[in-house]
Amino acid sequence: MKDDTARTDPGTGAGPAVSPAARRERPRPLWPHTVAFPGLAALAVLAAVFLPAPLAVILAFFTGSLCVWSAVDMASRVRASERERSSLDAQLIQSQKLAAIGELSSGIAHEINNPLAVMAQEAEWMTHLMGRPDPTPENLAELRDSLSEIVRQVDRCKTITHNLLNFSRKMEPVPQEERLERIMEDMVLLVEKEAGHKGVTIARDYDTALPPIRTDVPLLRQVILNLLLNAFQAIEGRGAITVSTRKAGEGRVAIVVADTGVGIPPENLPKIFNPFFTTKPPGQGTGLGLSLCHGIVDRLGGAITVESEPGKGSAFTVTLPA
Amino acid sequence: MSIRILIVDDEPDFIETMVKRFTFRKMPVTAATSGIEALTLLETESFDVVIMDVRMPGKDGIETLKEIKKRAPLTEVIMLTGHASVESGMRGMSLGAYDYVLKPVDFEELLDKVRKAYERKQLNEGRHSAD
Amino acid sequence: MPDPIRVLVVDDEDRFRTTLVKLLGTQGVVAEAAPDGAAALALLSEKPFDVVLLDVKMPGLSGQEVLPRIKAIAPGTEVLVLTGHASVDIAAEMIAGGAADYLLKPCPLDELMGCVRAVYDRRRAVGPK
Repeated sequence: MKDDTARTDPGTGAGPAVSPAARRERPRPLWPHTVAFPGLAALAVLAAVFLPAPLAVILAFFTGSLCVWSAVDMASRVRASERERSSLDAQLIQSQKLAAIGELSSGIAHEINNPLAVMAQEAEWMTHLMGRPDPTPENLAELRDSLSEIVRQVDRCKTITHNLLNFSRKMEPVPQEERLERIMEDMVLLVEKEAGHKGVTIARDYDTALPPIRTDVPLLRQVILNLLLNAFQAIEGRGAITVSTRKAGEGRVAIVVADTGVGIPPENLPKIFNPFFTTKPPGQGTGLGLSLCHGIVDRLGGAITVESEPGKGSAFTVTLPA
Repeated sequence: MSIRILIVDDEPDFIETMVKRFTFRKMPVTAATSGIEALTLLETESFDVVIMDVRMPGKDGIETLKEIKKRAPLTEVIMLTGHASVESGMRGMSLGAYDYVLKPVDFEELLDKVRKAYERKQLNEGRHSAD
Repeated sequence: MPDPIRVLVVDDEDRFRTTLVKLLGTQGVVAEAAPDGAAALALLSEKPFDVVLLDVKMPGLSGQEVLPRIKAIAPGTEVLVLTGHASVDIAAEMIAGGAADYLLKPCPLDELMGCVRAVYDRRRAVGPK
Protein backbone atom coordinates (compact mmCIF):
# COMPACT_ATOMS: atom_id res chain seq x y z
CA MET A 1 0.00 0.00 0.00
CA LYS A 2 2.70 2.45 1.04
CA ASP A 3 4.53 1.62 -2.21
CA ASP A 4 1.54 2.73 -4.26
CA THR A 5 1.43 6.11 -2.58
CA ALA A 6 5.20 6.60 -2.84
CA ARG A 7 4.94 6.29 -6.62
CA THR A 8 2.35 8.99 -6.85
CA ASP A 9 2.76 12.66 -7.46
CA PRO A 10 -0.10 14.19 -5.46
CA GLY A 11 -0.13 17.24 -7.71
CA THR A 12 -1.57 15.48 -10.74
CA GLY A 13 -4.32 13.71 -8.90
CA ALA A 14 -3.76 10.40 -10.67
CA GLY A 15 -4.17 7.35 -8.52
CA PRO A 16 -1.98 4.30 -8.62
CA ALA A 17 -2.18 2.58 -11.99
CA VAL A 18 -4.63 -0.29 -11.78
CA SER A 19 -5.84 -1.89 -15.01
CA PRO A 20 -9.57 -1.55 -15.75
CA ALA A 21 -9.83 -5.32 -15.76
CA ALA A 22 -8.38 -5.59 -12.29
CA ARG A 23 -10.59 -2.77 -11.13
CA ARG A 24 -13.68 -4.62 -12.28
CA GLU A 25 -12.66 -7.91 -10.77
CA ARG A 26 -11.96 -6.58 -7.31
CA PRO A 27 -13.29 -3.25 -6.08
CA ARG A 28 -10.46 -1.05 -4.92
CA PRO A 29 -10.26 -0.88 -1.12
CA LEU A 30 -11.68 2.15 0.63
CA TRP A 31 -10.02 1.61 3.99
CA PRO A 32 -6.81 3.45 3.04
CA HIS A 33 -8.90 6.56 2.48
CA THR A 34 -11.27 6.18 5.36
CA VAL A 35 -9.07 4.68 8.06
CA ALA A 36 -5.35 4.62 7.24
CA PHE A 37 -4.77 8.18 6.13
CA PRO A 38 -6.92 9.88 8.74
CA GLY A 39 -5.25 7.61 11.33
CA LEU A 40 -1.78 8.53 10.07
CA ALA A 41 -2.73 12.17 10.05
CA ALA A 42 -3.87 11.90 13.67
CA LEU A 43 -0.64 10.13 14.65
CA ALA A 44 1.38 12.73 12.82
CA VAL A 45 -0.34 15.57 14.66
CA LEU A 46 0.36 13.86 18.01
CA ALA A 47 3.94 13.13 17.08
CA ALA A 48 4.48 16.72 15.98
CA VAL A 49 3.76 17.79 19.54
CA PHE A 50 6.81 15.84 20.75
CA LEU A 51 9.18 16.09 17.80
CA PRO A 52 11.62 18.94 17.16
CA ALA A 53 10.33 21.61 14.75
CA PRO A 54 12.07 20.60 11.48
CA LEU A 55 11.00 16.97 11.88
CA ALA A 56 7.49 18.04 12.74
CA VAL A 57 7.31 20.18 9.59
CA ILE A 58 8.59 17.31 7.44
CA LEU A 59 6.01 15.03 9.02
CA ALA A 60 3.30 17.63 8.39
CA PHE A 61 4.18 17.92 4.72
CA PHE A 62 4.32 14.18 4.31
CA THR A 63 0.98 13.56 5.98
CA GLY A 64 -0.54 16.55 4.22
CA SER A 65 0.46 15.14 0.83
CA LEU A 66 -1.03 11.78 1.72
CA CYS A 67 -4.35 13.40 2.62
CA VAL A 68 -4.46 15.56 -0.51
CA TRP A 69 -3.72 12.55 -2.65
CA SER A 70 -6.41 10.56 -0.87
CA ALA A 71 -9.04 13.25 -1.47
CA VAL A 72 -8.14 13.59 -5.13
CA ASP A 73 -8.19 9.82 -5.65
CA MET A 74 -11.58 9.49 -3.99
CA ALA A 75 -12.95 12.32 -6.14
CA SER A 76 -11.79 10.68 -9.35
CA ARG A 77 -13.32 7.36 -8.30
CA VAL A 78 -16.65 9.00 -7.52
CA ARG A 79 -16.58 10.78 -10.91
CA ALA A 80 -15.83 7.52 -12.73
CA SER A 81 -18.64 5.69 -11.02
CA GLU A 82 -21.08 8.57 -11.76
CA ARG A 83 -20.14 8.45 -15.43
CA GLU A 84 -20.62 4.70 -15.56
CA ARG A 85 -23.96 4.99 -13.83
CA SER A 86 -25.29 7.58 -16.24
CA SER A 87 -24.06 5.55 -19.20
CA LEU A 88 -25.90 2.53 -17.79
CA ASP A 89 -29.03 4.64 -17.29
CA ALA A 90 -28.85 5.81 -20.89
CA GLN A 91 -28.45 2.23 -22.07
CA LEU A 92 -31.41 1.17 -20.00
CA ILE A 93 -33.61 3.92 -21.40
CA GLN A 94 -32.48 3.06 -24.90
CA SER A 95 -33.22 -0.62 -24.48
CA GLN A 96 -36.57 0.21 -22.91
CA LYS A 97 -37.31 2.43 -25.89
CA LEU A 98 -36.30 -0.31 -28.29
CA ALA A 99 -38.42 -2.80 -26.41
CA ALA A 100 -41.36 -0.43 -26.57
CA ILE A 101 -40.82 0.09 -30.30
CA GLY A 102 -40.54 -3.65 -30.80
CA GLU A 103 -43.74 -4.18 -28.90
CA LEU A 104 -45.40 -1.40 -30.84
CA SER A 105 -44.35 -2.84 -34.20
CA SER A 106 -45.49 -6.33 -33.34
CA GLY A 107 -48.68 -4.83 -32.00
CA ILE A 108 -49.32 -3.02 -35.29
CA ALA A 109 -48.53 -6.12 -37.28
CA HIS A 110 -51.06 -8.14 -35.30
CA GLU A 111 -53.68 -5.41 -35.47
CA ILE A 112 -53.32 -5.03 -39.22
CA ASN A 113 -53.31 -8.77 -39.87
CA ASN A 114 -57.00 -9.00 -39.06
CA PRO A 115 -58.28 -6.47 -41.59
CA LEU A 116 -55.77 -7.87 -44.08
CA ALA A 117 -57.17 -11.34 -43.57
CA VAL A 118 -60.73 -10.15 -44.20
CA MET A 119 -59.63 -8.28 -47.33
CA ALA A 120 -57.76 -11.31 -48.63
CA GLN A 121 -60.80 -13.52 -48.16
CA GLU A 122 -63.21 -11.08 -49.77
CA ALA A 123 -60.87 -10.84 -52.74
CA GLU A 124 -60.74 -14.63 -53.01
CA TRP A 125 -64.51 -14.81 -52.86
CA MET A 126 -64.82 -12.17 -55.56
CA THR A 127 -62.37 -14.10 -57.73
CA HIS A 128 -64.49 -17.21 -57.26
CA LEU A 129 -67.71 -15.34 -58.20
CA MET A 130 -66.13 -13.81 -61.28
CA GLY A 131 -65.03 -17.29 -62.39
CA ARG A 132 -68.63 -18.43 -62.73
CA PRO A 133 -69.84 -18.79 -66.33
CA ASP A 134 -73.33 -17.27 -65.78
CA PRO A 135 -73.26 -14.43 -63.27
CA THR A 136 -76.65 -13.77 -61.68
CA PRO A 137 -77.97 -10.55 -60.13
CA GLU A 138 -77.32 -12.16 -56.75
CA ASN A 139 -73.69 -12.65 -57.72
CA LEU A 140 -73.44 -8.98 -58.69
CA ALA A 141 -74.91 -7.94 -55.35
CA GLU A 142 -72.44 -10.24 -53.57
CA LEU A 143 -69.55 -8.74 -55.52
CA ARG A 144 -70.63 -5.27 -54.49
CA ASP A 145 -70.95 -6.38 -50.91
CA SER A 146 -67.48 -7.92 -50.85
CA LEU A 147 -66.04 -4.80 -52.40
CA SER A 148 -67.60 -2.52 -49.81
CA GLU A 149 -66.30 -4.80 -47.07
CA ILE A 150 -62.81 -4.41 -48.51
CA VAL A 151 -63.21 -0.64 -48.46
CA ARG A 152 -64.36 -0.80 -44.86
CA GLN A 153 -61.32 -2.81 -43.85
CA VAL A 154 -58.99 -0.40 -45.63
CA ASP A 155 -60.51 2.33 -43.49
CA ARG A 156 -59.87 0.26 -40.41
CA CYS A 157 -56.20 -0.06 -41.36
CA LYS A 158 -56.03 3.67 -41.89
CA THR A 159 -57.34 4.27 -38.37
CA ILE A 160 -54.73 1.92 -36.96
CA THR A 161 -51.84 3.58 -38.74
CA HIS A 162 -53.09 7.09 -38.12
CA ASN A 163 -53.53 6.41 -34.44
CA LEU A 164 -50.04 5.06 -34.43
CA LEU A 165 -48.66 8.14 -36.12
CA ASN A 166 -50.45 10.26 -33.55
CA PHE A 167 -48.98 8.14 -30.85
CA SER A 168 -45.42 8.58 -32.00
CA ARG A 169 -45.69 12.18 -33.09
CA LYS A 170 -43.12 14.20 -31.21
CA MET A 171 -45.10 16.80 -29.32
CA GLU A 172 -43.27 19.21 -27.09
CA PRO A 173 -45.70 20.44 -24.44
CA VAL A 174 -46.55 24.13 -24.72
CA PRO A 175 -47.28 25.33 -21.18
CA GLN A 176 -50.13 27.74 -20.55
CA GLU A 177 -51.95 28.75 -17.40
CA GLU A 178 -55.49 27.61 -16.85
CA ARG A 179 -57.77 26.68 -13.98
CA LEU A 180 -57.76 22.91 -13.59
CA GLU A 181 -61.48 22.60 -12.84
CA ARG A 182 -62.21 24.66 -15.95
CA ILE A 183 -60.26 22.21 -18.11
CA MET A 184 -62.08 19.29 -16.46
CA GLU A 185 -65.56 20.84 -16.63
CA ASP A 186 -65.24 21.67 -20.36
CA MET A 187 -64.62 18.02 -21.13
CA VAL A 188 -67.25 16.75 -18.68
CA LEU A 189 -69.87 18.90 -20.44
CA LEU A 190 -69.02 17.14 -23.70
CA VAL A 191 -69.64 13.74 -22.16
CA GLU A 192 -72.55 14.60 -19.92
CA LYS A 193 -75.34 14.73 -22.50
CA GLU A 194 -74.45 11.40 -24.04
CA ALA A 195 -73.88 9.88 -20.63
CA GLY A 196 -77.26 11.08 -19.39
CA HIS A 197 -79.05 9.30 -22.21
CA LYS A 198 -77.54 6.05 -21.05
CA GLY A 199 -78.40 6.67 -17.40
CA VAL A 200 -74.90 7.62 -16.30
CA THR A 201 -74.60 10.61 -13.98
CA ILE A 202 -71.46 12.66 -13.54
CA ALA A 203 -70.61 14.12 -10.14
CA ARG A 204 -67.99 16.85 -9.64
CA ASP A 205 -65.76 17.27 -6.65
CA TYR A 206 -63.48 20.16 -7.56
CA ASP A 207 -61.11 21.90 -5.18
CA THR A 208 -61.77 25.44 -6.35
CA ALA A 209 -59.08 26.78 -4.04
CA LEU A 210 -56.41 25.34 -6.34
CA PRO A 211 -54.36 28.02 -8.10
CA PRO A 212 -54.26 27.85 -11.91
CA ILE A 213 -52.12 25.02 -13.23
CA ARG A 214 -49.34 25.51 -15.76
CA THR A 215 -49.49 22.76 -18.37
CA ASP A 216 -50.11 21.93 -22.03
CA VAL A 217 -53.87 22.43 -21.93
CA PRO A 218 -54.96 20.70 -25.18
CA LEU A 219 -52.84 17.66 -24.32
CA LEU A 220 -54.40 17.46 -20.87
CA ARG A 221 -57.83 17.75 -22.45
CA GLN A 222 -57.06 14.67 -24.54
CA VAL A 223 -56.17 12.69 -21.45
CA ILE A 224 -59.32 13.74 -19.58
CA LEU A 225 -61.56 13.02 -22.56
CA ASN A 226 -59.98 9.60 -22.95
CA LEU A 227 -60.47 8.74 -19.29
CA LEU A 228 -64.07 9.98 -19.39
CA LEU A 229 -64.78 7.87 -22.46
CA ASN A 230 -63.29 4.79 -20.83
CA ALA A 231 -65.30 5.41 -17.67
CA PHE A 232 -68.47 5.80 -19.71
CA GLN A 233 -67.83 2.62 -21.68
CA ALA A 234 -67.02 0.62 -18.57
CA ILE A 235 -70.48 1.20 -17.15
CA GLU A 236 -73.12 -1.28 -18.23
CA GLY A 237 -76.55 0.34 -18.01
CA ARG A 238 -76.93 2.91 -15.25
CA GLY A 239 -74.05 4.17 -13.17
CA ALA A 240 -72.02 7.14 -12.06
CA ILE A 241 -68.76 8.83 -12.93
CA THR A 242 -67.07 11.06 -10.38
CA VAL A 243 -64.46 13.62 -11.41
CA SER A 244 -62.36 15.39 -8.83
CA THR A 245 -59.41 17.72 -8.56
CA ARG A 246 -57.24 18.20 -5.50
CA LYS A 247 -53.81 19.15 -4.28
CA ALA A 248 -51.37 16.24 -4.28
CA GLY A 249 -48.46 17.27 -2.16
CA GLU A 250 -46.02 20.12 -2.67
CA GLY A 251 -46.31 21.69 -6.10
CA ARG A 252 -48.49 18.93 -7.51
CA VAL A 253 -52.16 18.46 -8.29
CA ALA A 254 -54.25 15.39 -8.97
CA ILE A 255 -57.22 14.58 -11.17
CA VAL A 256 -59.32 11.52 -10.46
CA VAL A 257 -61.83 9.97 -12.86
CA ALA A 258 -63.75 7.21 -11.09
CA ASP A 259 -66.55 5.03 -12.42
CA THR A 260 -68.98 2.41 -11.15
CA GLY A 261 -68.27 0.20 -14.12
CA VAL A 262 -67.23 -3.40 -14.60
CA GLY A 263 -63.76 -2.84 -13.22
CA ILE A 264 -60.48 -4.31 -14.43
CA PRO A 265 -59.42 -7.88 -13.54
CA PRO A 266 -56.22 -7.88 -11.44
CA GLU A 267 -54.28 -9.85 -14.07
CA ASN A 268 -54.95 -7.07 -16.63
CA LEU A 269 -53.98 -4.18 -14.35
CA PRO A 270 -50.22 -4.27 -15.10
CA LYS A 271 -50.93 -4.37 -18.87
CA ILE A 272 -53.55 -1.66 -18.97
CA PHE A 273 -51.21 1.07 -20.22
CA ASN A 274 -49.56 -1.15 -22.85
CA PRO A 275 -50.00 -0.17 -26.48
CA PHE A 276 -52.61 -2.31 -28.25
CA PHE A 277 -53.89 -3.90 -25.06
CA THR A 278 -57.64 -3.90 -25.31
CA THR A 279 -60.57 -5.92 -24.12
CA LYS A 280 -62.86 -4.65 -26.87
CA PRO A 281 -64.03 -6.79 -29.79
CA PRO A 282 -62.09 -6.56 -33.06
CA GLY A 283 -62.56 -3.41 -35.08
CA GLN A 284 -63.74 -1.45 -32.06
CA GLY A 285 -61.00 0.69 -30.65
CA THR A 286 -57.37 -0.02 -31.14
CA GLY A 287 -56.23 -0.20 -27.54
CA LEU A 288 -54.05 2.85 -27.92
CA GLY A 289 -56.15 5.15 -25.70
CA LEU A 290 -54.66 4.47 -22.30
CA SER A 291 -51.11 4.08 -23.61
CA LEU A 292 -51.55 7.44 -25.37
CA CYS A 293 -52.71 8.93 -22.05
CA HIS A 294 -49.69 7.47 -20.34
CA GLY A 295 -47.37 8.92 -22.97
CA ILE A 296 -48.96 12.36 -22.73
CA VAL A 297 -48.99 12.41 -18.94
CA ASP A 298 -45.34 11.40 -19.01
CA ARG A 299 -44.52 14.29 -21.34
CA LEU A 300 -46.40 16.67 -19.04
CA GLY A 301 -44.13 15.57 -16.21
CA GLY A 302 -46.85 13.68 -14.38
CA ALA A 303 -47.92 10.17 -13.51
CA ILE A 304 -51.03 8.08 -14.09
CA THR A 305 -52.18 5.23 -11.90
CA VAL A 306 -55.26 3.06 -11.64
CA GLU A 307 -57.14 1.32 -8.88
CA SER A 308 -59.87 -1.11 -9.71
CA GLU A 309 -62.15 -3.75 -8.31
CA PRO A 310 -63.98 -6.02 -10.75
CA GLY A 311 -67.70 -5.56 -10.30
CA LYS A 312 -67.27 -2.32 -8.36
CA GLY A 313 -65.47 0.09 -10.70
CA SER A 314 -62.19 1.80 -11.45
CA ALA A 315 -60.47 5.05 -10.55
CA PHE A 316 -57.75 6.62 -12.67
CA THR A 317 -55.55 9.21 -10.97
CA VAL A 318 -53.38 11.65 -12.88
CA THR A 319 -50.90 13.68 -10.86
CA LEU A 320 -49.26 16.69 -12.48
CA PRO A 321 -46.76 19.37 -11.59
CA ALA A 322 -48.70 22.52 -10.78
CA MET B 1 -54.10 42.77 -30.13
CA SER B 2 -55.82 41.86 -33.37
CA ILE B 3 -56.28 38.15 -33.65
CA ARG B 4 -57.17 37.08 -37.18
CA ILE B 5 -60.18 34.79 -36.90
CA LEU B 6 -61.81 32.49 -39.42
CA ILE B 7 -65.29 31.14 -38.66
CA VAL B 8 -66.49 28.07 -40.53
CA ASP B 9 -70.11 26.99 -40.18
CA ASP B 10 -72.85 26.00 -42.61
CA GLU B 11 -75.52 27.80 -40.54
CA PRO B 12 -75.86 31.37 -41.86
CA ASP B 13 -77.60 32.64 -38.66
CA PHE B 14 -74.74 31.47 -36.51
CA ILE B 15 -72.18 33.03 -38.83
CA GLU B 16 -74.04 36.34 -38.85
CA THR B 17 -74.22 36.50 -35.04
CA MET B 18 -70.58 35.62 -34.63
CA VAL B 19 -69.36 38.09 -37.24
CA LYS B 20 -71.39 40.87 -35.58
CA ARG B 21 -70.01 40.15 -32.13
CA PHE B 22 -66.38 39.83 -33.19
CA THR B 23 -66.60 42.97 -35.30
CA PHE B 24 -68.05 44.82 -32.31
CA ARG B 25 -64.91 43.84 -30.40
CA LYS B 26 -62.80 45.17 -33.26
CA MET B 27 -61.46 41.71 -34.03
CA PRO B 28 -60.91 40.97 -37.74
CA VAL B 29 -63.12 38.06 -38.68
CA THR B 30 -63.69 36.19 -41.93
CA ALA B 31 -66.52 33.73 -42.52
CA ALA B 32 -66.73 30.56 -44.59
CA THR B 33 -69.81 28.41 -44.99
CA SER B 34 -68.04 25.17 -45.83
CA GLY B 35 -64.82 23.25 -45.31
CA ILE B 36 -63.85 23.68 -48.94
CA GLU B 37 -64.42 27.45 -48.78
CA ALA B 38 -62.31 27.63 -45.63
CA LEU B 39 -59.43 25.75 -47.26
CA THR B 40 -59.64 27.94 -50.36
CA LEU B 41 -59.39 31.05 -48.16
CA LEU B 42 -56.41 29.53 -46.37
CA GLU B 43 -54.53 29.29 -49.64
CA THR B 44 -54.23 33.06 -49.86
CA GLU B 45 -54.72 34.31 -46.31
CA SER B 46 -53.37 33.21 -42.96
CA PHE B 47 -55.38 33.13 -39.77
CA ASP B 48 -54.44 32.83 -36.12
CA VAL B 49 -57.50 31.00 -34.87
CA VAL B 50 -60.13 29.01 -36.74
CA ILE B 51 -63.53 28.39 -35.12
CA MET B 52 -65.20 25.53 -36.93
CA ASP B 53 -68.31 23.41 -36.67
CA VAL B 54 -67.76 19.67 -36.68
CA ARG B 55 -70.80 18.72 -38.75
CA MET B 56 -70.94 20.31 -42.12
CA PRO B 57 -72.14 18.89 -45.43
CA GLY B 58 -69.38 18.05 -47.87
CA LYS B 59 -66.04 18.18 -46.16
CA ASP B 60 -66.84 17.88 -42.47
CA GLY B 61 -65.04 19.57 -39.58
CA ILE B 62 -62.69 16.70 -38.86
CA GLU B 63 -61.55 16.35 -42.48
CA THR B 64 -61.06 20.11 -42.76
CA LEU B 65 -59.15 20.13 -39.47
CA LYS B 66 -56.76 17.53 -40.86
CA GLU B 67 -56.13 19.66 -43.92
CA ILE B 68 -55.63 22.84 -41.91
CA LYS B 69 -53.10 21.11 -39.68
CA LYS B 70 -51.26 19.86 -42.73
CA ARG B 71 -51.08 23.22 -44.50
CA ALA B 72 -50.84 25.64 -41.57
CA PRO B 73 -49.88 23.58 -38.52
CA LEU B 74 -49.45 26.57 -36.24
CA THR B 75 -53.00 27.81 -36.81
CA GLU B 76 -55.07 26.89 -33.78
CA VAL B 77 -58.50 25.36 -34.33
CA ILE B 78 -61.45 25.44 -31.92
CA MET B 79 -64.11 22.88 -32.82
CA LEU B 80 -67.78 23.58 -32.14
CA THR B 81 -70.48 20.97 -32.02
CA GLY B 82 -74.25 20.96 -31.64
CA HIS B 83 -74.21 17.28 -30.65
CA ALA B 84 -71.84 16.17 -27.96
CA SER B 85 -69.98 13.22 -29.33
CA VAL B 86 -67.14 12.11 -27.18
CA GLU B 87 -65.52 10.06 -29.88
CA SER B 88 -65.45 12.86 -32.42
CA GLY B 89 -64.22 15.14 -29.65
CA MET B 90 -61.33 12.82 -29.00
CA ARG B 91 -60.60 12.48 -32.68
CA GLY B 92 -60.52 16.23 -33.08
CA MET B 93 -58.30 16.70 -30.05
CA SER B 94 -55.93 13.96 -31.09
CA LEU B 95 -55.72 15.52 -34.55
CA GLY B 96 -54.55 18.76 -32.96
CA ALA B 97 -57.66 20.81 -32.21
CA TYR B 98 -57.07 23.29 -29.41
CA ASP B 99 -60.47 22.82 -27.82
CA TYR B 100 -63.85 21.25 -28.36
CA VAL B 101 -66.95 23.25 -27.35
CA LEU B 102 -70.66 22.50 -27.15
CA LYS B 103 -73.14 24.81 -28.83
CA PRO B 104 -74.85 27.04 -27.83
CA VAL B 105 -71.62 28.71 -26.89
CA ASP B 106 -71.24 31.57 -24.45
CA PHE B 107 -69.51 34.33 -26.39
CA GLU B 108 -67.36 35.53 -23.52
CA GLU B 109 -66.14 31.99 -22.93
CA LEU B 110 -65.44 31.55 -26.63
CA LEU B 111 -63.51 34.82 -26.64
CA ASP B 112 -61.42 33.62 -23.73
CA LYS B 113 -60.68 30.37 -25.56
CA VAL B 114 -59.75 32.30 -28.70
CA ARG B 115 -57.28 34.39 -26.68
CA LYS B 116 -55.75 31.29 -25.11
CA ALA B 117 -55.50 29.59 -28.51
CA TYR B 118 -53.78 32.69 -29.88
CA GLU B 119 -51.38 32.68 -26.93
CA ARG B 120 -50.46 29.09 -27.74
CA LYS B 121 -49.84 30.01 -31.37
CA GLN B 122 -47.48 32.77 -30.31
CA LEU B 123 -45.64 30.50 -27.90
CA ASN B 124 -45.23 27.92 -30.65
CA GLU B 125 -44.03 30.54 -33.14
CA GLY B 126 -41.51 31.87 -30.65
CA ARG B 127 -40.26 28.33 -30.16
CA HIS B 128 -39.97 27.51 -33.84
CA SER B 129 -38.10 30.69 -34.67
CA ALA B 130 -35.48 29.60 -32.21
CA ASP B 131 -34.78 26.39 -34.17
CA MET C 1 -67.36 -40.02 -53.81
CA PRO C 2 -65.49 -39.49 -50.57
CA ASP C 3 -67.34 -37.90 -47.67
CA PRO C 4 -66.91 -34.13 -47.55
CA ILE C 5 -64.57 -32.85 -44.85
CA ARG C 6 -66.53 -31.27 -42.00
CA VAL C 7 -64.90 -28.11 -40.71
CA LEU C 8 -65.81 -25.84 -37.78
CA VAL C 9 -64.52 -22.25 -38.02
CA VAL C 10 -64.10 -20.58 -34.63
CA ASP C 11 -63.34 -16.82 -34.87
CA ASP C 12 -64.82 -13.70 -33.27
CA GLU C 13 -64.34 -11.54 -36.40
CA ASP C 14 -67.80 -11.87 -37.99
CA ARG C 15 -66.98 -11.11 -41.60
CA PHE C 16 -63.86 -13.26 -41.56
CA ARG C 17 -65.82 -16.19 -40.20
CA THR C 18 -68.75 -16.01 -42.60
CA THR C 19 -66.69 -15.49 -45.75
CA LEU C 20 -64.33 -18.31 -44.80
CA VAL C 21 -67.30 -20.65 -44.51
CA LYS C 22 -68.40 -19.60 -48.03
CA LEU C 23 -64.89 -20.08 -49.42
CA LEU C 24 -64.54 -23.51 -47.81
CA GLY C 25 -67.88 -24.40 -49.41
CA THR C 26 -66.36 -23.85 -52.84
CA GLN C 27 -63.77 -26.53 -51.99
CA GLY C 28 -66.30 -29.24 -51.27
CA VAL C 29 -66.00 -28.74 -47.51
CA VAL C 30 -69.06 -28.71 -45.25
CA ALA C 31 -68.33 -25.79 -42.97
CA GLU C 32 -70.02 -24.30 -39.94
CA ALA C 33 -69.02 -21.40 -37.75
CA ALA C 34 -68.95 -20.35 -34.10
CA PRO C 35 -68.18 -16.83 -32.84
CA ASP C 36 -66.52 -17.91 -29.59
CA GLY C 37 -65.18 -20.82 -27.56
CA ALA C 38 -68.42 -21.56 -25.74
CA ALA C 39 -70.46 -21.75 -28.95
CA ALA C 40 -67.79 -23.95 -30.51
CA LEU C 41 -67.88 -26.42 -27.64
CA ALA C 42 -71.69 -26.50 -27.82
CA LEU C 43 -71.59 -27.34 -31.55
CA LEU C 44 -68.85 -29.94 -31.05
CA SER C 45 -70.90 -31.77 -28.45
CA GLU C 46 -73.89 -31.89 -30.83
CA LYS C 47 -72.28 -33.12 -34.01
CA PRO C 48 -68.99 -34.48 -35.31
CA PHE C 49 -66.39 -32.34 -37.10
CA ASP C 50 -63.18 -33.49 -38.75
CA VAL C 51 -61.20 -30.28 -38.42
CA VAL C 52 -61.55 -27.18 -36.25
CA LEU C 53 -59.99 -23.88 -37.43
CA LEU C 54 -59.35 -22.12 -34.16
CA ASP C 55 -58.54 -18.44 -33.57
CA VAL C 56 -56.46 -17.52 -30.51
CA LYS C 57 -57.59 -14.05 -29.47
CA MET C 58 -61.29 -14.15 -28.66
CA PRO C 59 -63.48 -12.61 -25.96
CA GLY C 60 -64.45 -15.00 -23.18
CA LEU C 61 -62.52 -18.23 -23.59
CA SER C 62 -59.31 -17.73 -25.57
CA GLY C 63 -58.11 -20.24 -28.15
CA GLN C 64 -55.59 -21.54 -25.64
CA GLU C 65 -58.30 -22.12 -23.05
CA VAL C 66 -60.66 -23.78 -25.51
CA LEU C 67 -58.13 -26.21 -27.01
CA PRO C 68 -57.94 -28.71 -24.13
CA ARG C 69 -61.71 -28.72 -23.88
CA ILE C 70 -62.07 -29.46 -27.58
CA LYS C 71 -59.62 -32.33 -27.25
CA ALA C 72 -61.63 -33.58 -24.28
CA ILE C 73 -65.09 -33.65 -25.84
CA ALA C 74 -64.03 -34.41 -29.43
CA PRO C 75 -60.81 -36.42 -29.36
CA GLY C 76 -61.31 -37.51 -32.98
CA THR C 77 -61.26 -33.90 -34.20
CA GLU C 78 -58.06 -32.23 -35.40
CA VAL C 79 -57.40 -28.62 -34.49
CA LEU C 80 -55.61 -26.12 -36.73
CA VAL C 81 -54.80 -22.80 -35.11
CA LEU C 82 -55.55 -19.91 -37.51
CA THR C 83 -54.57 -16.58 -36.01
CA GLY C 84 -53.44 -13.03 -36.79
CA HIS C 85 -51.05 -13.07 -33.86
CA ALA C 86 -47.71 -14.66 -34.55
CA SER C 87 -46.14 -15.85 -31.36
CA VAL C 88 -43.60 -18.61 -31.10
CA ASP C 89 -44.51 -19.16 -27.47
CA ILE C 90 -48.23 -19.53 -28.10
CA ALA C 91 -47.60 -21.71 -31.14
CA ALA C 92 -45.40 -24.07 -29.15
CA GLU C 93 -47.90 -24.12 -26.31
CA MET C 94 -50.82 -24.96 -28.54
CA ILE C 95 -49.04 -27.64 -30.50
CA ALA C 96 -47.94 -29.16 -27.22
CA GLY C 97 -51.59 -28.93 -26.17
CA GLY C 98 -52.72 -31.00 -29.13
CA ALA C 99 -53.09 -28.65 -32.10
CA ALA C 100 -51.94 -30.19 -35.36
CA ASP C 101 -50.56 -26.98 -36.83
CA TYR C 102 -50.35 -23.19 -36.39
CA LEU C 103 -51.27 -20.97 -39.34
CA LEU C 104 -50.91 -17.21 -39.65
CA LYS C 105 -53.62 -14.96 -41.07
CA PRO C 106 -54.00 -13.93 -43.81
CA CYS C 107 -53.69 -17.41 -45.27
CA PRO C 108 -54.52 -18.04 -48.95
CA LEU C 109 -57.31 -20.54 -49.43
CA ASP C 110 -55.28 -23.16 -51.28
CA GLU C 111 -52.62 -23.17 -48.54
CA LEU C 112 -55.33 -23.53 -45.92
CA MET C 113 -57.02 -26.34 -47.84
CA GLY C 114 -53.69 -28.07 -48.29
CA CYS C 115 -53.26 -28.07 -44.55
CA VAL C 116 -56.82 -29.16 -43.85
CA ARG C 117 -56.60 -32.06 -46.29
CA ALA C 118 -53.20 -33.15 -45.01
CA VAL C 119 -54.43 -33.24 -41.43
CA TYR C 120 -57.64 -35.01 -42.45
CA ASP C 121 -55.85 -37.65 -44.51
CA ARG C 122 -53.35 -38.29 -41.74
CA ARG C 123 -56.14 -38.77 -39.22
CA ARG C 124 -58.01 -41.18 -41.53
CA ALA C 125 -54.84 -43.20 -42.06
CA VAL C 126 -53.92 -43.36 -38.40
CA GLY C 127 -57.42 -43.66 -36.94
CA PRO C 128 -58.58 -41.89 -33.75
CA LYS C 129 -55.99 -42.03 -30.94
